[in-house]
Order: sequence, then structure tokens, then C-alpha cells
Amino acid sequence: MRALLLLIAAATLAAQQREEVRNPRTSPADVAAGAKTFRSHCSPCHGYDAEGGLGPRLAGGHFYHGSSDADLLNNISNGIPGTVMPGLFYSEDRIWQVVAYIRSLRASQLQPAGDPVSGRAVFRSKGCMQCHRVSGEGGRFGPDLTFIGESRAPGYLRQSIVDPSAEVQPQYWVITCRYPSGETSAGFLMNEDTYTIQFIDMEGKLHSVAKSDLKEFHTEKTSKMPSYKDKLTPPQLDDLVAYLSSLRSKAGME
Amino acid sequence: MIRFLCVLASLLPVAAQVTPERLLNADKDPANWITYSGSYRGWRYSGLDQITRANASKLKLKWVYQMPTTHTVETTPLVVDGVMYFSEPPSNVVALDAATGRQYWRYHRELPNRINTCCGQVNRGVAILGDRLFVGTVDAHLVSLDAKTGAVLWDVPVADYRTGHSVTVAPLVVKDMVICGISGGEYGIRGFLDAYDAATGKRRWRFWTVPEPGQKGGESWSGESWKTGGAPTWVTGSYDAQQNLIIWGTGNPSPDWNGDSRLGDNLYSDSAIALDADTGKLKWHFQFVPHDLHDWDAVQVPVLVDDEWQGRPRKLVYWAHRDAFFYVLDRETGQFLLGKAFAKQTWAKGIDDKGRPVRLPNIDPSPEGTIIWPGVQGATNWYSPSYNPLTKLFYLSVWENRSIYRKGEQEYSPGNRYIGSVPLIDLPEDPGHGAIRALNPKTGEAVWSYPLHTKPWAGVLTTAGKLVFGGSDEGYLFALDAESGKEVWRQLLGGVIRAGPMTYQSGGRQVVSVAAGSAIFTFELPE
Repeated sequence: MRALLLLIAAATLAAQQREEVRNPRTSPADVAAGAKTFRSHCSPCHGYDAEGGLGPRLAGGHFYHGSSDADLLNNISNGIPGTVMPGLFYSEDRIWQVVAYIRSLRASQLQPAGDPVSGRAVFRSKGCMQCHRVSGEGGRFGPDLTFIGESRAPGYLRQSIVDPSAEVQPQYWVITCRYPSGETSAGFLMNEDTYTIQFIDMEGKLHSVAKSDLKEFHTEKTSKMPSYKDKLTPPQLDDLVAYLSSLRSKAGME
Repeated sequence: MIRFLCVLASLLPVAAQVTPERLLNADKDPANWITYSGSYRGWRYSGLDQITRANASKLKLKWVYQMPTTHTVETTPLVVDGVMYFSEPPSNVVALDAATGRQYWRYHRELPNRINTCCGQVNRGVAILGDRLFVGTVDAHLVSLDAKTGAVLWDVPVADYRTGHSVTVAPLVVKDMVICGISGGEYGIRGFLDAYDAATGKRRWRFWTVPEPGQKGGESWSGESWKTGGAPTWVTGSYDAQQNLIIWGTGNPSPDWNGDSRLGDNLYSDSAIALDADTGKLKWHFQFVPHDLHDWDAVQVPVLVDDEWQGRPRKLVYWAHRDAFFYVLDRETGQFLLGKAFAKQTWAKGIDDKGRPVRLPNIDPSPEGTIIWPGVQGATNWYSPSYNPLTKLFYLSVWENRSIYRKGEQEYSPGNRYIGSVPLIDLPEDPGHGAIRALNPKTGEAVWSYPLHTKPWAGVLTTAGKLVFGGSDEGYLFALDAESGKEVWRQLLGGVIRAGPMTYQSGGRQVVSVAAGSAIFTFELPE
């Protein structure tokens, strides 16, 4: 019994100590130094601006292997067993700077100006829901936006609304297939290899075709979404961006 | 009588199977595949001709071996007298019955937690001599195993893994030595090629691929940069027994994309080096890319061919380099004979008559990014090319793509990346594409090209059945007509193919094996 109490006391102490670990290197100079280390050592997998790649995106503040400062210090220092994430051979100070840089990315994504509640009304009244889905409600042609605030910064969201073709993810490229009979079918490209194409047409039907069965095919890399540049007032646009930014997973919030 | 003896020999188990003589004559024994490239000449060619352009369409699965690994599989299996040996990433080795795929033994290497490899904890294969196997490990050791049981015979450190060294190359056995290269060009190592006594693991010689000040070539590095100069040796070379020369490729200088601290040509990075096999002394070198700023390693398998060159017989090396040029060198002197682009490139006007690239302006990495063809991964890379003596063509996997090369600050610290910023490898809206290409090695001109939607990481194999076997990241294994490039068979294996196919005989019948996803697949013709 006494041993158990001691064990509980030790565990509580350990938990407190974990809680108490706070990054000691958080000055702007530390963030800048951390960014340099990040570019050399982390960017090959996590992307130049931590946008993700082979490794997960880190800019959203959502960390699968623990979100506390102590977790980040440990994972960057020692790597994550069972994954390809290696450890860094650096002093703790240098690693704290990387943590500071990663945290700064999160800060840059704080809620923008604008009223999310009004933005929700804009979203529901201006036709967005015909193609976009939030929490199971809405259309399927555009990207699901349920957690979009976590993966996209406000500036990106704003650009996507006023200039949808500025950057189109490959899964929203539109492929048009022409068969020898003259018939055509078109839809969003889901997958393509040397010999076959998989796509979903505008009626939601899945197609898998052999390129050798087609007369021709071509892919448009522009967005099907109309620009809302002239369809929203500046306050409406601010509110809509604020609403979309607010769509985040609770798990990623601190 | 000879035929009877041959049949008898194929039925009897053979002790101490792989002698140096047998390795020298590997191409005369196509029932087996006893060294990484199939023979010392680096051809990845087999004299087996039972699978042909007429019957390859009937190929069907013989067996699959699934590896319990999450790492990319880049291994080329060896087959010796009915037993298949291959490495399983990170640094394990498996022996199995080549006829059924059932396992005899598995060597599992315990590894330290913190291992830094640039591009995955991979391994490209094992080597064999007698009844001993040799494998390199990602914690930078060279290990010898009993081929019958997998028991460790010796285990020697090649270098310190905590300074970014690792061994991913398939070793090459030459005489009674194991030739072993090193990886770590993204960690500021100083590269080398080693020879170890096959019986004891004692090091016989080391050739530093980055000379020190005062040595020949030392003047090609400014300041102290030679200490962290890179030039690793992570792909298996070839052996010219007649000249007793080991011919091997070296990788990029470190740091990769910022050369400010390493002014000069940076010898012997991005080079073909020819070493005396007994002493490790340099006989000649040819540097493809002096002062490389694009990470264009010369880590390709050297293809050694004796053929007529401009009217007289000559010992040649064929080399399709990452920089998008196909080169022909004289194997006795390293003299440059030909350099011809085999893929789109925007960095050089051409190659001058000494073999030096004539660079175009504004090709260096820049802070804002410089777009250049080929991309960081090159127009080809480490995956094996093939030479077929029947068609006299050179075959390879090709990438047509570009990268945005970014230059950044760099600072060396032991064990950490030392690269000088990060290039953007794939442009999302235009990720590039690939091909399997046949070149006329006399001119460097393409004879045919088999287009691929994506960029392949798989080597190619050619056979006396006049077939080319290749694979794609899409997961297809395919067989092409070696003369026309026409596809005669393909099979989706459902996982990326990032290894070279090989072929052997099982029960007197030709089969083809390749690693795909986390498995080894073996195909045969119906009875």
C-alpha cells in the first residue's frame, strides 16, 4: 500500500514536471534561428513552410504524437519510434528554437478579423453549400471544409474565394474522356497511371477506364468554382474567411 | 557426357558454393544470380532465353514473400543453387527456398533509435563468397553471415552512424575482399570506398573520395571544406578483372545546394573512379559534374563493354548520369569519348571535348529558387541500367522533370543534415513523367522510348529472350520487346517498385523476381 502511494506520488510529480516544461527559447531571434534549422533538417519531409509532404503538416498546431512543449522536444530530439521521423543530433537549446518556430506558425494562423457568425450566414446564403460540405451538410463537388481552418491559413482561404484557379489540388482537376463512339464523359480526376484513369463524374458516378479504350482525353487544371470577387462585399468576404478559419478540429486546439 | 554432368551438378547440393572463379564467370551461369548486377560488368543481363517475346504474355505468379517492414524495399535478390538471399530494410537479411518462397532463416539487426539517413532506411542487397554473405547496415556496419544459418560470423564498424554515415549499398565481392561503399552525402561525411578481408572483416584498404590538402585533387576544395565534402559511394560498382580495376561512382559534394564553402571542382565527387583492386590506389577518374550544385550524384552502375569504338576495339564504360547526359569513357584511361543528352535538360550547352560540361548562365540554386531540368533526383538515378549484348543497346529508366533549386545557408554540425536549403522536387501542377528508354551507345541517340505517366524508381533487366523487364511507382511490372520497346506483358503488383528485377532458373525453368511494395514477387511460365 505504501509502495502504491509512493508510486502515485511519483507519477503525480512526473506529470507535474511534464506540465511545467516550457520552452525557454521563444524570442523572435530564437524563432528565426529555429526556422533556419527547420529548413535544413525538417523541410525535406515536412515542407519548406511546414505545409507537409512525406511527413505531416506542422503549421496547423495539430501533432499526432503529443502537442506539449515536452512532447515536441522529445520527438524532435529522439525521433518517433515506428515512423521514419529521425532524431536530431543538436543541443536542447537548438531544438527549443525549432519548437519556437513551429509554434510561431500556429500563431500566424490565429483567427482573422471578421465575424464568424455572420460568415456562416454568408456561406449558407451565397451558394457555397451547393458544392462544399461542412460537418456532413452540403454538396460533394468541392473540398469538404469541416476542418479547413486547421489546414489552410486565412490568406489562402481568401485567395481561394476570389481566385479559385490560383491553386487547384489535383483531385479537383477535371478530366474529359472521348470514346471512339464520339461519346464523352467528364469528372474530377481521382487517380491516373500509365494505362488507366479513375474519376467521379458530375452525377457522382465512379468511372475507371483504360486509356487504350479512349479516342482521346485531356485534363483541365483550372477550378470549376466561380470567383466570388464581385459577388461579396469586403465585409462579407472578411466574415466568410473568419468563418472558414474557425472550422477546426477540437483535438488540435490548446 | 558433359550434359549428363551438368544435370548431375544441378541436382547435387554444392558446398562452399561461390568461389571467386564462379563470380568471374557469373554470366556463364545464368541459372543463378550471384552478384548485384548479375555479373561484374554491370549489365543486369541474363543469358536465359526460356521467357521470350512470344510467351512472356503467359507469365503468372509463382510465389510472394511478404516482409514485415514499413521501409522502402530496394533490394536485388541473389540466387545461389536454389537459395534466394536478399536484404530486408532497414538491415535484415532473409534466405528462402527460391522454388517456393518459404523461409530458411532471417537475420534481424537491432538498431539504435537515432539513425539519420537522407532518404529512408533502405538497403540494396547482399553479396556472397563461399558460404558467407555480406550486408551493410544503416548503423554503418558491415556484417558477415553464415549463408546456411544466418549466424553472424563477423560484424565490423565501417564508420560512425552518429556522424551521418550509413551503409545502404549492396557490397561487391572481388577476389577474397568485400568492397563496401558509404552513404551520407546529405550529412557532410567525407566519402570513401573500403575493401575488407572476407574471412576476418579486417580492412585491407580505404580510398578517400575526397583528398586532403597536399594530395592530388586536394586543391579542388577551398579551406577546410574537404573534411565535410561528401562524395559518398552508395551504389554498387563494377569490376574489370582483366585490368584488375574496380570502377565505382561517387555522389554529390556536401553541402548539396550551396557551394560557397567548397570552391573548386570538388574532386572526386560526382565522378567515376577506377581503383586498383589490390591496393585501392586511384588509376583514373572522370568527373561528370565539377563543383556540382544540383545533387547530381554519379551513383550509377558502371556498364563495362568491350566493343569497337570508331573503328578500333576498345574497353569502354557506358554511363547514363543523373545530369541527363549519356557518357562513354575509355576504361583504360578514363578518357571522355561521348556525352549526349538522353532527357530534357536546361543546364548545359553540351559537353566539351575533354568531357567538361559547358554550363548555361543562371543555373545555380538561388534563394528565390531556380527552375532547372533535370530535377534534383536527376534524369536517372541509382536504379540499374542494363546492356544487352544481342541488341547492343543500353536500357534505362528515365525521368523527364524539373525542380526549383533553392539555395540557403548551411552550417555543419555532426550527424545533422548539411545540404544548404531544400529544393522543391515536384511542382504540384507539373510533376513530370518517366520512360523506359533504349539508347544506341555508339551515338547516345534514343532508339525507342516506352512512356510512363509517373517517374520510375525501378531498375531494368534484359535477357537473351530479347526482353526488357522494368517497373514503375504505379506498381506495374512489365516486359518489353528489347528491339522495339513494344509492351508484351504487364502485371499490377499493387505497391511501388523501387528495385531492380532479376532472373534465375528454378527446377530448370526461368523465373523473374522483383521487389514491389514490401514483398518479393516471382513469376514463371505455365508448365
